[in-house]
Amino acid sequence: MAYSANMNVADIRAGLAAGEFTAREVAEASFKRIEELDGDVHAFLELTKDAAFEQAAKIDAAIANGTFDQMGPLAGVPVAFKDNMNYEGTHTTCSSHMLENYVSPYTATCVAKTIEAGGIPLGKLNMDEFAFGSSTETSAFGPTKNPWDLERVPGGSSGGSAASVAAGLACVTLGSDTGGSIRQPASFCGIVGVKPTYGMVSRYGVVAFGSSLDQVGPFARSVRDAAAAMDAICGHDPMDCTSQYVKADFRAACEQGVAGMRIGVVPGFMDAPGLTDEVKARVAEATEALRAAGAEIVEVELPHADAAIAAYYVLGPCEAFSNLARFDSVRYGYCDEGHKDLGSQYEASRAAGFGMEAKRRIMLGSYLLSSGVYEKYYYPAQQVRTLITQDYQAAYEKCDVILAPTSPRTAFKFGEVGDPVEMHLADIFTVSINIAGNGGMSVPCGLGADSGLPVGVQLIAPQFKDENMFRAAAALEAVYGAAPIAPDFAAGKAGE
Amino acid sequence: MTQQLTQRDVRDIATYARIGLTDEELEQMTVDLNNIIETLKPITEFDLDGVEPTFHPIGGLSNVMREDVEVPGFTQEQALANAPKQQDGSFLIPAILGGGDQ
Amino acid sequence: MKKLEEVLQDWEAVIGLEIHAELTTLNTKMFCGCKLEFGADPNTHTCPICLGLPGALPVPNKAAIESIVLAGLATNCDIEKHSMFYRKNYMYPDMAKNFQTTQGPVAFCMRGHLDLEVDGAGAKERIDLDGLKPGESQGNVTATEDGYVAHVGITRIHMEEDAGKMVHIGGDEGRIAGATHSLVDYNRAGTPLIELVTEPDLRTPEEARLFMQKLRQIYLAIGISDCSMEEGSMRCDGNVSLRRRGSTGLGVKTELKNMNSFKNLHDGLAYEICRQAQVLEEGGQIYQETRHWDPSAKRTIVMRVKETADDYRLFPEADLAPYDLTDEFIEGVRAKLPELPDQKAARFQESFGLSAYDARHLVEHRATSNFFEEGMKLAGDKAAKLAKPLANLAINDITARMNADESFDLAASPLTPARAVELVGLIATDAISSKQGKEVFAAVLDEDKDPSAIVEERGMKQVSDTGAIEAVVDAVVAAHPDEVARYKEGNTKLIGFFVGQCMKEMRGQGNPKVINQLLAKKLN
Repeated sequence: MAYSANMNVADIRAGLAAGEFTAREVAEASFKRIEELDGDVHAFLELTKDAAFEQAAKIDAAIANGTFDQMGPLAGVPVAFKDNMNYEGTHTTCSSHMLENYVSPYTATCVAKTIEAGGIPLGKLNMDEFAFGSSTETSAFGPTKNPWDLERVPGGSSGGSAASVAAGLACVTLGSDTGGSIRQPASFCGIVGVKPTYGMVSRYGVVAFGSSLDQVGPFARSVRDAAAAMDAICGHDPMDCTSQYVKADFRAACEQGVAGMRIGVVPGFMDAPGLTDEVKARVAEATEALRAAGAEIVEVELPHADAAIAAYYVLGPCEAFSNLARFDSVRYGYCDEGHKDLGSQYEASRAAGFGMEAKRRIMLGSYLLSSGVYEKYYYPAQQVRTLITQDYQAAYEKCDVILAPTSPRTAFKFGEVGDPVEMHLADIFTVSINIAGNGGMSVPCGLGADSGLPVGVQLIAPQFKDENMFRAAAALEAVYGAAPIAPDFAAGKAGE
Repeated sequence: MTQQLTQRDVRDIATYARIGLTDEELEQMTVDLNNIIETLKPITEFDLDGVEPTFHPIGGLSNVMREDVEVPGFTQEQALANAPKQQDGSFLIPAILGGGDQ
Repeated sequence: MKKLEEVLQDWEAVIGLEIHAELTTLNTKMFCGCKLEFGADPNTHTCPICLGLPGALPVPNKAAIESIVLAGLATNCDIEKHSMFYRKNYMYPDMAKNFQTTQGPVAFCMRGHLDLEVDGAGAKERIDLDGLKPGESQGNVTATEDGYVAHVGITRIHMEEDAGKMVHIGGDEGRIAGATHSLVDYNRAGTPLIELVTEPDLRTPEEARLFMQKLRQIYLAIGISDCSMEEGSMRCDGNVSLRRRGSTGLGVKTELKNMNSFKNLHDGLAYEICRQAQVLEEGGQIYQETRHWDPSAKRTIVMRVKETADDYRLFPEADLAPYDLTDEFIEGVRAKLPELPDQKAARFQESFGLSAYDARHLVEHRATSNFFEEGMKLAGDKAAKLAKPLANLAINDITARMNADESFDLAASPLTPARAVELVGLIATDAISSKQGKEVFAAVLDEDKDPSAIVEERGMKQVSDTGAIEAVVDAVVAAHPDEVARYKEGNTKLIGFFVGQCMKEMRGQGNPKVINQLLAKKLN
C-alpha cells in the first residue's frame, strides 16, 4: 500500500518496514500536500525541507541496513512544531513581528527528542502571538483556519499544530499549553491533544509564556499516535530544573482498558455558564460510553474551580510580563532604529513588535506585580492555587481520572468573539489543570448536534499518572473511532 | 463597576513596561485592563487565612542543581548572529541616559 | 567644609554596607556551563541561558550554593534550609533577561555578625567612646586596651547573578553621561555573585573600612573569590545618614557607589558624612539619592534621585526548584571550612606568645600570615625568641612595602621566610642594630642576597664589646664638658646627644643598649 496522509504511526512504521514506501516518499508526499492545501489552512509558517529529507535519508538507510526496528517510536512519522519551539537554523517567531527575523541558534529538547525518535520534521506552525489567545487570530502573520470550516477558528493558541493534524498535513505535531492551548484547539479541530503533567516534558527551548503553567504536548488523530509521541518526548532533561524522571509507557496504557477504573465527573461543570447543550450532550454520552466499557462513574467536587480562571489571569500575565521583558531590541528581535537613546528605542521597538493582546498581558502583569497590588492579587492567586491543587488531590481519592468538557462550545467564527474577557472564558474548563499541574487531554467525542462541528471531551489525570487518562482515552476511541482528517481535506481528495 | 485604573495609571504602567502607546491605544487599553481586572475579583473574595501559597506547581521537587563543569557555548559570531546592531564583538545600543530613561 | 573629626563631635553617622563578591574561583557561571574568565574577548563566553535567549532555562551551579553556605558559616550566619530564587524585574541592557535572578525575603544566610577590632588612629574616629575603660561596653562596642571591639550585625547574604559589562562611547573618559552609544558584553553576565548586607551598625568610615577588610580576609581564606576590588570582583556600596549626637532617630540616607578600594571606601564615606553635616547645618535637606564617589575630585556627585522606592516587582522564580538544604549538605560544607583569620590570630597568640595586636595585624593579609608561619617553622628552637621580631617585621616593614607598592608580591620577592628569620636573628643576637636591620631589609629586596652576606659586605657588625665602647664613651664625655655640666644640672634630655655622638664615633656600629648603660654610669 502506498503512503497516505491518513495513515497513523503504526501504519507508517509497518509500511516502511515492509518496503511498501520509503521515508523519502513520506516526506515528498507531505510537502506536496502542504503546498496544495496549506494555502487554505495557513497552519505552517516555515517548511524545513532540508532537515526532513536528511532525516528521511537516515531512516531509509536504517531500513536498508536492517536497523530500522531499533528506531524510536516516531520513525518515519511526519511531524511539525509550534513556532515557539527553538529548532536550530529555523525562524522561531512565536507568530510575532518581534521575532520575525530571529533564527534559532539552538534546539528545544522536545524538538530534539521528536527527531531523535525518528520524526520527519516538516516545519513550524502558526499560533497566537506568544501563545496569548484561544483562536490563533492574534498571530502577526494571519490566522490559521479550522479545516472543518474555513470560516471558523481552529482554537488556540496552538491553532497551527491542531489544524495541520486535522487537515492531514502532519501526523503528529507538538504544541504548548498554558491554560488550554493544546486541549481547546484539539477539541475545535476534532483531534487528540495532550497536556501532560507539569514536569513530564522538558520546557527547555520552548519560548516561555507562564513558566509555572506551560507544558509541551502532542497532537494526533489517534490516542495511540499521541501515546507514541508522549513516549518519545517525556522524561527528565538536565536543562530544565522542573522536569522530572518519568518512567511511563503510554502505548502500553492504551491497551489496558477501563474495567474497574473510577471516572470522576463534576456535577457543577455541567451547569457552567456558557456551556452549550450540544457539548453537554456529547460529554454525557462519552461518560456513558466509559461506563459501558466497564468503568465506574463517581461524582467528585472541585469547590474552587470557579476561581481558577481568575487565578489564571493573575498568574499567567505576571509570568508573561517577566518572561517577555527580554524582548528589548538589544540582543535579538525587532529594533526600531534611529533613536538617540535606549529608552525611546525600547518603547518604539516593543510598541511595534508586540500585538495588542501581548501588550495587554504584559501590562496587566506589570500592574499585578507592582507594590501593593501584588498582595491583593498575585499572592492570593498562589494561595488559591494551593486550594485548587488540594481539591484535585481530594477528588483523586475517589477516582482515577476526571472527565469534563474541554471547551464550553465548538469552534466559533472569525471575529465572533472580540472582547478579551469573553475570549478568556473559553478556557473555563482547562485552566485549573494548569494551575494544579495535572495532566489533561482532549479526545474527540462526535460532532455537535447543532453546529455539526467536532466536540472534545477532556480527561484529567492526577500528577504523573498521565497513563490513567490514556487508558480512558483509548476506551473512548474504541467507541468513536480514531479522528478522521477533516472532511474537506480527506486524503484522496487532494494529493496522496 | 469601580474603575481600578485611570488613563494616567495605564500610561505609567506602559512606561514601566517600556511599551509605547498612542492616545487611542491608551484609551482602549484602559478600558480593557479595567474589564479584565474586574474579572479577577474572585481572587480577593476568599478567606485565605493560613493557606500557604504554591509558587512551584509540583511539590516535592527541590535542590535541583548541576555540577560546576564547563559546557561549550557560542562563538562570538553565534552570540551576535541575531543582534540588531553590533560593533567590535559587542551588542551596540544607543545612549542609555537620555529622554526616555528614568 | 568641616573636617571629619569636627563633624563627628556633633553628629553620629549611621552606616550600612552592601558588599558584592563574585565567586571567581568557580569554573562556570551561576545558571549555565559557560566558563568564568576575566578579560576575555567580548561575548566569547555565552550561551542561550546567559544571553537570555527565548526559551532558555536556568540550572543552578551546586558549587555556588556550597560557596555561599561556606561564606555564611564563616560569618556566623544562620543557614536557612528553606529558601528560593526570585526574579527582580527591571529593564537594563546589561541584564540579558531583563530580570535578575536573586533571592527573596529569605536568603541562604541570615543573621550573622563580625567583630571588628579597631585600634590606633582609626579608633579615634569614635569620639563618643572617650572615657570608656577596657572591658566596658556601650551599645555594640566594648573598649579594649588599645581601642575597641565593635559587634557588627550581618542582615543576610544572598545568592544572585552578575550583569554583563558595558563600554560607553562618544562621551568623556568612557562615562555613561554624555555617551552617544554603548557596547554590551555578556561574558560577565550570570557570574555567581553573593551580596552581603550589614545592619546599620557601623558608625565611622574606619569601621566600614575594617569591616570590608575583614570580610575580604575571610572570603580569601575560604577561597570563594579572588576579591579583586580593582577588577570589580569585590564591590562595596554604602548607605549613610546622620543624626545629632544623643538622638536615636534615623536621618535620610544616601547611597554611595564606586568605592572600589579600601581608601576610597573610607574617604568616600568621610566626605559624604561631612557633606551631609554641612547641608544639615545650613538648614538644608538630605535627599534620598544615589551618589558616586569621585576619588580624583574628592567629592561625591548625584547619580540618581530616588523619588519613590524602587518597585522591582519581585516574585518567585518558577523555573528554579526551591531549596530544602539537608543537614548532610550543610555539614558537608562545614567540613570544608578552613581556619579563619580570627582563629589563626588566636592560634598565633597561643602558640607563639604574640600580643593580640600583633596577631590581629599579622592575619590581615594572607601573605604576611603565611610568611610568618613559614618563618616560624624554619626558626626551629629559636621560634619562641624570634616570634615577636618576625611578627614586627611582617606587620611593619613588609606591610609598609605592600601598602606602598600594590604590585609587590611577597611570595615572589627576594625576601624569603628563611632570609627574614636570618635577619631578625642577627638583630636578636645583637650582631647588628635594629637600625642596621632596616638597611639590610631594603638591601635584601634590592639585591636579592642573604642578610648575612649583606652584613659582611657592608662591614655592618655591631660592636657590643663593653671595653671598646667604654673608651668611646669616655672620650665623648671628656670632649663635652659643658653638656656634661648641663646634664648634671637636670637637663637629662641631653642623653640623646651623648648617644648620638658615641654612635657617630663608632660609625653607627655601636650597640645602643650598651652605650646607654655606660653613659648612664659615667654621667650619674
